[in-house]
Amino acid sequence: MLNAIRRFFGEKASGKVAAKRMQVVLMHDRMDLTPDVLECLKNDILSVLSRYMEIDQQSIRVDLEKGKEYTALVSNVHIKRVYRRALPAQNA
Amino acid sequence: MAGKTIVVTSGKGGVGKTTTVANIGTVLAKKKHSVVMLDADIGLRNLDVVMGLENRIVYNLVDIIEGKCRKEQAMLRDRKLNNLFIIPAAQTREKDAVQPEQMKELCRQLAEEFDFVIIDCPAGIERGFKNAVAGAEIAIVVTTPEVSAIRDADRVIGLLEASLLKDIHLIVNRLNYRMVKKGDMMSTEDIVNLLSVPLLGVVPESEDVVISTNRGVPLVHDRGSKAGIAFQRIAARLNGESIPFDNGYGDGFLERFKRLFRG
Repeated sequence: MLNAIRRFFGEKASGKVAAKRMQVVLMHDRMDLTPDVLECLKNDILSVLSRYMEIDQQSIRVDLEKGKEYTALVSNVHIKRVYRRALPAQNA
Repeated sequence: MAGKTIVVTSGKGGVGKTTTVANIGTVLAKKKHSVVMLDADIGLRNLDVVMGLENRIVYNLVDIIEGKCRKEQAMLRDRKLNNLFIIPAAQTREKDAVQPEQMKELCRQLAEEFDFVIIDCPAGIERGFKNAVAGAEIAIVVTTPEVSAIRDADRVIGLLEASLLKDIHLIVNRLNYRMVKKGDMMSTEDIVNLLSVPLLGVVPESEDVVISTNRGVPLVHDRGSKAGIAFQRIAARLNGESIPFDNGYGDGFLERFKRLFRG
């Protein structure tokens, strides 16, 4: 009964609330990258960026920021100089 | 040809792993397959009680691994089906009495003799989980429509995939269709979307499960039980039979009436 009243006043059904919450929770859980993976990711980003600009190799930072409804990959890189043309991709 | 090795796992405890093992094993044996069910929950054995075989245990899984007995000596034959066996877990040992490699070897040997080897995995994601999973080719993840069970199931699925066990199937246990209809429980669709693993079946919440466990006789022996029918359908799918999924909203008068007009 209480639920019916709540629903009447525009509250979402609890099943949908749960599904929505789980969507966010599972994404956070799955994004729990190990330091190794994060290091690899950092190096890959670095090598791609290096084709387009000269960057301060020491400055790069890669972090995951967990907001309430999203997870963002935040990377900070100090750019020294931008190349006029992209360098060719290096095949590993 | 070697039989199938299947691990039933969940992460969270109390979602119905042992019940699932007991019922799937019983149905497959009723279909004339030779089946052995392995209780890998060392220290917290339960498959024996659920199957009503607790009084017959002499040897257990750890005894086989330590070479204290032959594996045939530890196998208990089911009370009704002579092609169904269980290997009980040790009750007074620690989980580290067994190594993953040893489990792998045991499962391989059992798969040579049996059509189905079904492993009852302990809750958790530590040593016992790794042992239980080591020898399996197929994984069944059991969850209930609760946030905690789903979160743990997702974690377990991630670990299974990381251990290169990619043949993963989902069972949603204890679904209350009345609550789903009212919007107060996550639906099967919601759960499958969240976990993105193929669905093997849905078992409705039922008092019959408690009653059959009390008696130590698997539910699937009881023809009238809806949860029992759900397990029969799950086992049939596992057996490669093509069984359609019904929406599970039951056979109320209105549903039958609507279906009549839908043709």
